[in-house]
Amino acid sequence: MLSLYRPGAGLLHRLPAGPKLLLLLAVVLAVSLLPSTWWAAAVAAGAAIVAYAVAGLRDGMLGMRELGRQVVALRWLIVVTIAAQLIFLGPEQAVSNTARVTAAVVLAGLLVLTTRVSDLLDAVERGLRPLDRLRFDSERAAVLLTVALTTVPVLGRLAGEVREAQRARGARPGLRFFAVPFLILSLKHADQLGEALSARGVR
Amino acid sequence: MTGATPAPLPAAAAALWLDGVGVRLGQVDALRDVSLALDARTIAVVGENGSGKSTFARLLAGLVAPATGVTRILGLDPVRQATELRRRVAVVFSNPDAQIVMPTVAEDVAFSLRPERLSREELRRRVDAALERFGLSDLRERSSHDLSGGQKQLLALAGAFVREPELVVADEPTTYLDARNARRVSDHLLADAGHRLVLVTHDLALAERCETAVLFAGGRVEAVGRPAEVIAEYEAALAC
Repeated sequence: MLSLYRPGAGLLHRLPAGPKLLLLLAVVLAVSLLPSTWWAAAVAAGAAIVAYAVAGLRDGMLGMRELGRQVVALRWLIVVTIAAQLIFLGPEQAVSNTARVTAAVVLAGLLVLTTRVSDLLDAVERGLRPLDRLRFDSERAAVLLTVALTTVPVLGRLAGEVREAQRARGARPGLRFFAVPFLILSLKHADQLGEALSARGVR
Repeated sequence: MTGATPAPLPAAAAALWLDGVGVRLGQVDALRDVSLALDARTIAVVGENGSGKSTFARLLAGLVAPATGVTRILGLDPVRQATELRRRVAVVFSNPDAQIVMPTVAEDVAFSLRPERLSREELRRRVDAALERFGLSDLRERSSHDLSGGQKQLLALAGAFVREPELVVADEPTTYLDARNARRVSDHLLADAGHRLVLVTHDLALAERCETAVLFAGGRVEAVGRPAEVIAEYEAALAC
């Protein structure tokens, strides 16, 4: 289950989910729009470092341990992005673009690190509520987003179970023998989750 | 039907009242001509796999619609008054993993109260009380999916009971649990906390702890009455 939230009492933890979402969106947008230069790479990296430092993540290293963890999680994205651009664009643009993408992702990550999913759910629902006048169901949309967010790791667990079952029966790993049981398990989970949501009063 | 069948109650008096009810799932008649009037506080539902027990449980919770007959659950029509019914009925399924929606224990319990639009203080009070009742207070910030099987089912119970339901429908809630956790979960379900219970189970010892039992076979009600008598009839059928 997606449980990235880190309890804390820092500046970002105290900020309500809605304004925090808009603030981080603005910072991510600003970082994304920087030019492809050496100084832009430094500004993007600096923005991420400052944001994690003031977030109050209580990791014993002023947010740097958590920032490091997030960057390590993105290692393959960084490798692929920088390698491809080094070949076609040269070092300055490759480093700058990669730094901006990485900074944007880790800055966006601050939202889930400092906000409970339930607060996000409330904020998304409040934000979408004006659309209800256009026959849009903001409550359902917010629940849908939350369920999608929290189901990703469940699907990961189901995939692990299918692989284990295959190994236990001596089957060779292969997409064909993986896809069908995984799809069936996922659909079964979706059915059960749908029933559980209905039973808990979700329309 | 067994001789232990109680005299029919009028619709207004019985908590669960079904008259000639049928439920069709795809091409299969999952329930056929079910007529029941039950007013006991705890009701066990037993029968073989595919006998219609789970469909009956889903019918009571308004999760499947009857194709024929008349159904009244707590005096409500499960089709026309589905929203009200779901407010008053809580369901606990056998697989706790499929019932968890939110990432942490406290958030998952609070999720059950979203439709009630409570103030933050009231929400906190109700969630705290539910966590305390099911021994989950120390786990409130834990990741829901990192809990053990028994803890997950207790979380499912907390999510169900936090809504203070009038009727709890539990569909094989102890299937995945060890003996100790099965005992804890069933004790919570059977405790008199102002709710009625419909307990679908293969555990005949657990069924015996209920006030009334219903035996299903082939989508029909085969027997209704005191658990010992209904279970004896079930075991006689199994021996054939």
